[in-house]
Amino acid sequence: MSARRDLVRGIAVLSLILVLSILFAVSEGAVGVSFIEALRGDQRARMILFDLRLPRVLLAAAVGAVLASAGATFQTLLRNPLADPFILGVSGGAACGAAIATVIGAGRLPGGVPIAAFSGALGATLLVLAIARRHASVDPTRLILAGLVLNAFFSALILLALSMVRGSDLTVALHWMMGSLANPTWADVLLVGLAAVISLAICASMAGDIRLLVFGEEDAKSRGVSTEKVRVIAFLVASLATGAAVATSGIIGFVGLIVPHAVRMIWKRDYRLLLPLSAIGGAALVVLADLAARALIPPSELPLGALTAMLGVPFFLVLLRRATR
Amino acid sequence: MSIELHSVTYRYPGAPSVAVDGVSFRIAKPELIAICGANGSGKSTLMKLLSRVLEPSDGTIVMEGREIGAWDPRDYARKVGYLPQETDPLVPMRAIDAVITGRAPYLGRFSWESPQDIELARLALARCDASGLADRHLDEMSGGERKRVHLARVLAGQPQAILLDEPLAALDLAHAQQLARLLRVLVEEEKRTVILISHDLNWSAAIADRMLVLREARLTADGSPSAILTPELIHANFGLEADVIERNGRRWVLPR
Repeated sequence: MSARRDLVRGIAVLSLILVLSILFAVSEGAVGVSFIEALRGDQRARMILFDLRLPRVLLAAAVGAVLASAGATFQTLLRNPLADPFILGVSGGAACGAAIATVIGAGRLPGGVPIAAFSGALGATLLVLAIARRHASVDPTRLILAGLVLNAFFSALILLALSMVRGSDLTVALHWMMGSLANPTWADVLLVGLAAVISLAICASMAGDIRLLVFGEEDAKSRGVSTEKVRVIAFLVASLATGAAVATSGIIGFVGLIVPHAVRMIWKRDYRLLLPLSAIGGAALVVLADLAARALIPPSELPLGALTAMLGVPFFLVLLRRATR
Repeated sequence: MSIELHSVTYRYPGAPSVAVDGVSFRIAKPELIAICGANGSGKSTLMKLLSRVLEPSDGTIVMEGREIGAWDPRDYARKVGYLPQETDPLVPMRAIDAVITGRAPYLGRFSWESPQDIELARLALARCDASGLADRHLDEMSGGERKRVHLARVLAGQPQAILLDEPLAALDLAHAQQLARLLRVLVEEEKRTVILISHDLNWSAAIADRMLVLREARLTADGSPSAILTPELIHANFGLEADVIERNGRRWVLPR
C-alpha cells in the first residue's frame, strides 16, 4: 500500500472526526441551545454558539493541532518516541515566560504575553538541545529526565513569581500550569490558528528531509539532507508554535505524545504522514477533551491539562517501557 | 565515474592530531577498492569525506571533474551511496519502508515514491537476500539482517559509486560470500565503483581489484592485492606477524 494513499485516507477519516467533534462541542454546553434556533435568528442562541462557544472550540482545535504536530516533529528530530512539548519542558518554559510577563505587567502591552511565551519556549528548547547534544539520543530516558527537572524548575518559577506580587491570586498560576481554554478572544484564535498553519506549512515543506533523520545525522547527510539547517528551522518552528499555544491556553500536556503515537499505530511511521495526521488528530482530541472539561460536571470546569494528563500518563508508561526495553 | 583526491586532510574539531593526512589517489574506471588499515588509521573518516558527511579541512575531492562541495547535495547523493559503519538499531520501521527511503534523493519536495521506486526497493532487497525481511521491523532484527537491509537501502538509490563501511561486520559466512558475488556483479556488469572497508584481509584480497592501505592517517600503499600482500607490508602496516601463501592465483594471509 502506498504512503500517499494512506495519507489521503487518513486525512479523510480524521477530518471527518474533527468536523463532527467541532459541531458536537459547539452544540453541547451548560445552556441548551441548538443550531436551528441560531439559524432562525435567535439572538441569544447566536451569541452563545458563535460568540462564546465557537471561538473556544476553534482555539481548542488550533492548540491541539500545534501541540500534536510539535510532538511529532520533536519525536522525529530527537529520534525519541517520548518527546513531547510538555515532557521536554518546552511548554513549561513558555508558560513560565507568559506568567512572568503577566506578573510584571507586560501582559498589558500588545503581544507582550505571546512574545514572553515564545522566548520561554525557545530558551527551554535550547536547554533541552544542549543536554541532548552531549549524550546524543542513545538514552531516551536521559532527555526525559532533563525535561522533568526543567518542568519542576519552571513550575517553581511560576509560583515564585506570582507569590512575590502582593495580593496576587495563585489560581492564576493554575491557569498556566494546568491549562484552560476558558474565555478566549478572537485574537487568541487568530494567533494560534496562524501558528498552526505556518508551522505546518514550514514543516511539511521539509518533511521529505526530516523523515530521513530517523536513520541518524550521517545517514541523512549522505542522502543530500542539509541536516543542520533542517534541524534548526524545525526546532525553531515547533517551539514558537508551542509558545503561541501556551500563551493563550497554558500547559496542556501529553497531546503531543498521545496523538502521534496513535497515528503511528494505525498508519506508517513516515513523518510525511505523521505530521498532517497528528495535526488533525490533535485538533479533534483537544476539542473533545475541552468539551469533557466543561461538560462532565456542570457548572464547574475541570482543568483541561489535568484531563489530558489522565489520558497521557498510561501512554507515556507504555512507551517508556518499550523505549527502555 | 571518476573520483580524485588531492592531498585530502581532515582534523576533527578539537582533536590533537589529524584523522586523514594528505591522502591522494585517483579512481578512473569502475573497480572494487578495499581500504585496509588498523583501528584508528582513518578509514571511516575517509569514507565520510567521500560521502560528504564531512568536509576536508584541507585538499580537494573532485568527482567527475567538479569539486564535491560544489555539487548539489541531492545530485551528489544520487551518484554516491554510503553505508555507515553503524546504523541505529532502534528504528521502528518496516524493512521495505526503510529501503524505499533510499529513493529519497530522486523525489521532489512534495512528491511521493512511484510504483517504480517501490519496485526498485523490492529488487534491492532481493539482491541482498533480504526479501523475506521486507515486512519485519528493523528494531526486531539481528545485526546481520539489519546490515543487509541497509545495504539494500544503498542499492535502491542506484548510485554509480557505492561506499561501504565494514559491510562484512555481523554477516555470517554464507552471506559474506553472497555479498562478494553481488559486489563483483555491481562492478563488472553494472560498471559501478565500489569502495569498501574491511578488516578481513583475505576476503578483501579475494574480491578487490585494488587495495588502499592506511596507517596513522596516511596512505601507505595502493595497488593490486598481489602487490600489497607481502609479509613486510603487513607487518609494517598492521603490526601483524604473518605468512603469505599463494594458492590458485590468490594470496592468503596466515597469521603466525
